[in-house]
Amino acid sequence: MRATLSRLLIEAAEADARVMILTCDHGYALFDEFRKRRPEQFLNCGIAEQNMVGVAAGLAKAGFRPVVYGLAAFVPIRVLEQIKLDVCHGKLPVIFLGDGAGLVYSTLGASHQCFEDVAALRALPDISIFSPADRFELMWSFSRARSSNGPSYIRLGKADLGDIHSEPLAADFDDCLYPVVKGSSTHLCFAAGAMVSIAKRAIDKSGLSYDLYSVPNLTINPKHIVRLCGGREKILVVEEHSRHGGLGSLVAEAIAGKVVCRFEIMGTQHSFTKECGSYQHLLAQHGLDVESVQKML
Amino acid sequence: MRQPFEPRSLRRTILGMAYYGSSVHIACAFSIVEILAVLYGKHLRYPDGRPDHPSRDYLILSKGHGVMAQYACLLEMGWIAPHELTNYYKDGTRLYGLAEAWIPGVEVTSGSLGHGLSIGAGLALAAKRHATEQMCYAVVGDGETNEGSVWEALQFAAQQRLDNLIVIVDKNDFQAMGRTADILAPGDMVAKFAAFGFDTMLVDGHDQDALHAALSTFKMRKNGQPKGIIAKTVKGRGVSFMENSNLWHYTRLDATAFAAALGELGPAGE
Repeated sequence: MRATLSRLLIEAAEADARVMILTCDHGYALFDEFRKRRPEQFLNCGIAEQNMVGVAAGLAKAGFRPVVYGLAAFVPIRVLEQIKLDVCHGKLPVIFLGDGAGLVYSTLGASHQCFEDVAALRALPDISIFSPADRFELMWSFSRARSSNGPSYIRLGKADLGDIHSEPLAADFDDCLYPVVKGSSTHLCFAAGAMVSIAKRAIDKSGLSYDLYSVPNLTINPKHIVRLCGGREKILVVEEHSRHGGLGSLVAEAIAGKVVCRFEIMGTQHSFTKECGSYQHLLAQHGLDVESVQKML
Repeated sequence: MRQPFEPRSLRRTILGMAYYGSSVHIACAFSIVEILAVLYGKHLRYPDGRPDHPSRDYLILSKGHGVMAQYACLLEMGWIAPHELTNYYKDGTRLYGLAEAWIPGVEVTSGSLGHGLSIGAGLALAAKRHATEQMCYAVVGDGETNEGSVWEALQFAAQQRLDNLIVIVDKNDFQAMGRTADILAPGDMVAKFAAFGFDTMLVDGHDQDALHAALSTFKMRKNGQPKGIIAKTVKGRGVSFMENSNLWHYTRLDATAFAAALGELGPAGE
């Protein structure tokens, strides 16, 4: 996924001189090739995230297409107000890349872990939110964000758990949400980001019949969610994010009053991570490892 | 014929708005009247008279609390209508008590402080990259410089050699709850800006000739340094009972105070 991201950014910059990458001193290896090939379209704004977002807003007002990179713990969280007032209020075409979202910075602790980015941004008007599960979804998300005339946020997990899809997504993917696993008319699982892979493994291991859908667009028209939920006995949502305000909330808001079924949201515990350790260890601590998901199926 | 952007007329407009809208923030609008008068009257270029012209100069009112002073200028530009001033704060109208970028001529949404200067730096950088002659003027409050993001923006502007950016600090020595010296003392603002790599001048912020001279000098000086004008101003300038009285950050005008303030200002300029 990271190689894909690096390639997408270079392609975008080469195709469009208005594209400008802004970073706050993060992404050393990620931008090596970009800096070599498009140095004039790369701006390290220093460890000053608030200013970086304001600068991006000014550049966008003057016709540039800024792509603002940061760790999700800082972009969008530290700069939420700048995103709200400087970018969303004017519906400016700025793409935010929030890297390392969720638990992947397992050994770095609370400052770098981020479970609240989607919840924070879902409450803002006029921003599109994407949470790709693999490189194909990343390509689709980035393309959607670039063709949008407004703000976008792409949540990146950094935990590359392999491809979900076998080929690039159709351009109208948003409207058809095709299944990652198809096998049940009664049991349905929605997942986003790295949790799509975890949920798929859990379903495979369990031998149970399930439909599994990846939802890379977290600002999807709810009618597409509702359409998949009718007549279900059980719906499970798995996300590497707080259960408050993320994909689970999106599904719950979409189907409330429309669908009667068992409904569970699996997300991070509503507490800070207490133990240092591997990504896998933290997933288990938060009940988001394959075994935990399997138990909830 | 009446001169455009005449400070006494601008202050009368502000007072009228504040009275009709029963709004606050009169004193912090009064302190920037001459600054905006000189910018609108002598410096800002809007090709075809269009507030959204891609080749315009940029005026960033980073201290959005002074927005009534900008509305008074926008009225003279013809971008807002006279009835919008008498209808200020009425249901369904569009002029808020703080700067909103949806209003023609208002570049940034401000009121949360420490935002505008960064956007101004982005606009100045864009002008550099496009190799245009556009200037960016950012009016920042001295209280606003409490915000750390202001200092992030200053560092960035110096690093990017934005000599087309002129930051004007409205140094009225007050902020919402008292004197800046008693809250987060700004110290020697000229020295601070200079230490951040700015070409800096201290100017009487109510002396239009001095402001015009400083702006003209700085516009010509393409030395790779962003510019800082520390404008010494008086909060509430123009009405004796508002000057240096922080009550008028929050106080609303009643009919008596309105009449007294208008009386002090005298009739609109000739």
